[in-house]
Amino acid sequence: MKIVVCLKQVPDMESKFKIVDDKKVDEAQIAFKINDFDNYAVEAALQLKEKHGGEVVIVSVGPDRAAKDIRQAFAMGADWGMHITDPAIVDGDSFVIASALAKAIQSIGGVDLVMTGVQTEDLQAAVTGVMIADMINVPHCTNVVKINTADGKAFTLNRELEGGLNEVMDLTGPAVLTIQSGINEPRYPTLPGIMKAKKKQLDVKSGADLGVSASSRTAFIKMFVPVSDTMAEIITGAPAEAAAKLVDKLKNEAKVI
Amino acid sequence: MAKLLIIAEHRNGKLSDATMELCRIAKEIAPGLGLEPVAAVFAKDDSLAKEVAKYIPEVFAVCDAAVEGYTSDAYAQAVKAVVEAKDVKGVLIPHTYDGVDFAAKAAMAINAGIVSNCNKAVVEGGKLVLTRNIYNGKLQETKSVTTDKFVVTFEKGAYDPAEAGAAGAVSTVAVSFTASRTKVKEIIAMSTGGVDITQAKVIVSGGRGLKDADKYKDIVIPLAAKLGAEYAGSRPVIDSGWVEASRQVGQSGKTVSPDLYLALGISGAVQHVAGMKGSKCIVAVNKDPEAPIFNIATYGIVADLFEVVPGI
Ligand SMILES: Cc1cc2nc3c(=O)[nH]c(=O)nc-3n(C[C@H](O)[C@H](O)[C@H](O)COP(=O)(O)OP(=O)(O)OC[C@H]3O[C@@H](n4cnc5c(N)ncnc54)[C@H](O)[C@@H]3O)c2cc1C
Ligand SMILES: Nc1ncnc2c1ncn2[C@@H]1O[C@H](COP(=O)(O)O)[C@@H](O)[C@H]1O
Repeated sequence: MKIVVCLKQVPDMESKFKIVDDKKVDEAQIAFKINDFDNYAVEAALQLKEKHGGEVVIVSVGPDRAAKDIRQAFAMGADWGMHITDPAIVDGDSFVIASALAKAIQSIGGVDLVMTGVQTEDLQAAVTGVMIADMINVPHCTNVVKINTADGKAFTLNRELEGGLNEVMDLTGPAVLTIQSGINEPRYPTLPGIMKAKKKQLDVKSGADLGVSASSRTAFIKMFVPVSDTMAEIITGAPAEAAAKLVDKLKNEAKVI
Repeated sequence: MAKLLIIAEHRNGKLSDATMELCRIAKEIAPGLGLEPVAAVFAKDDSLAKEVAKYIPEVFAVCDAAVEGYTSDAYAQAVKAVVEAKDVKGVLIPHTYDGVDFAAKAAMAINAGIVSNCNKAVVEGGKLVLTRNIYNGKLQETKSVTTDKFVVTFEKGAYDPAEAGAAGAVSTVAVSFTASRTKVKEIIAMSTGGVDITQAKVIVSGGRGLKDADKYKDIVIPLAAKLGAEYAGSRPVIDSGWVEASRQVGQSGKTVSPDLYLALGISGAVQHVAGMKGSKCIVAVNKDPEAPIFNIATYGIVADLFEVVPGI
């Protein structure tokens, strides 16, 4: 099987987000990592490769810094990758990014399966996988929590639904699956894996290389820190002291213990 | 007049709350956009369309065996057909499991820009301005759509459902469907059984901040025992197998409303909060002062949970 995984490098969400000019976050204070859902997608792809043979290709849109995490996926076992660093694409909206990913997938050719995460932790859009499927004209399944295939072509999938339900559905590849967390236990790279990753092929492409002509269909206005009218009463003091104050409040103010 | 269309959501013959929430949003923003609020219901007959008509002035029913159950292919085709037949400019879809599965496809079918997962919509000078969470809810952004047509999906629960009123008009729209490429075999209930945490008066819940299964067991379970509480967790804790699935709180887990919900090392993602925001008193212990959980908690302690918990 030839499997493409779309992987995005995102900030560690425990970072401190300082907004600059109402329009971007100050990257100086941010550590980056693989989008959590994409990590599950990489693992799902590697498990299919182990069973059916073939290769796992990582495709990513992002600035130069993203190469570190593409190589992290290489260290897990992915074979090679394509990195679209072109600012015209990187700064585009989900439609532009999906267009570039779709073109990249078409340029790779002979792809049996595309996997994305359910959503990015930074943009939380949950649209990119479905858009790619439409652009390359293949069926899709979102929120996939189980993959069954005997031949790498006919798939029986569990799509997570609300209220603890799963939809069990059939489709024939090529297809796009958006992978939900918990579907597997992503492996950690091994030391030999990390060594090998350094030498794996990573092609850097621009929008023009891939023939991307899409432009954004949405406009960003501004970003801000949400204001809450139900902000918690913050209990201060050294940990032990704060804990004691909390217990007192729970007993005598909220009367819940 | 051009229209603002909401797509109703239903399963097992029942409309979802998200449908009535969209009715409220549509009625609220349509006048400023110079649009008429309408709904579409895709089902085998028009009985649910009649139900939706209590919440919005006009409803289009697409009644066809192809939409008796949900598939993304059929839903995207039905959206496109209604948009073209009825002069629709904007489409509102719930950001739910099914909504996420077809909204972007429907947007592609009508060449519309899509802004997804929104929690607020306002009209400023005739322009639709949408607010949405980014960075797991630590920040928010506003966006607009630049194409002629637009699709917006809304977080469940962001708005109150519309109230029922006089019955609106229902008419049918015929769609010639092509066969869906996905075939639904069955819809099954997962994790049945296990503990029932929904009845507990006090819940101690641990998140990824607990670091690993051993620390979860050493910190959360003893504290729960001390308080006579049930223990629970966020999705990553269940995904990693630290505790069993029946103890997951949130959109894809249990909805709980105890007297006291103690959230330890939980960031407060929307999908988690959906399952516990009805709790009477919420305590958050988190070392990150910007964690969204503090926006909904009653009491908060900004500190390392491993130093705080021994004192509780
Ligand atoms: C379709 C869908 C359905 C979902 N359903 C659910 C659901 O039902 N339930 C659910 O919970 N999630 C659900 N999620 C996932 C959700 O988006 C979040 O990823 C998840 O809730 C995060 O869990 P967390 O808060 O434990 O982890 P994180 O977001 O990683 O937060 C960990 C927190 O711990 C804090 N921390 C770290 N170390 C310490 C320390 N020593 N002391 C104090 N604090 C510390 C950090 O500051 C951080 O805020 C769903 C997602 C999707 C897309
Ligand atoms: N810049 C990107 N590069 C590669 N893949 C991406 C990118 N943005 C989104 N994706 C993929 O699309 C999924 C959904 O992203 P989103 O629609 O932004 O929530 C992610 O989990 C990734 O698999």
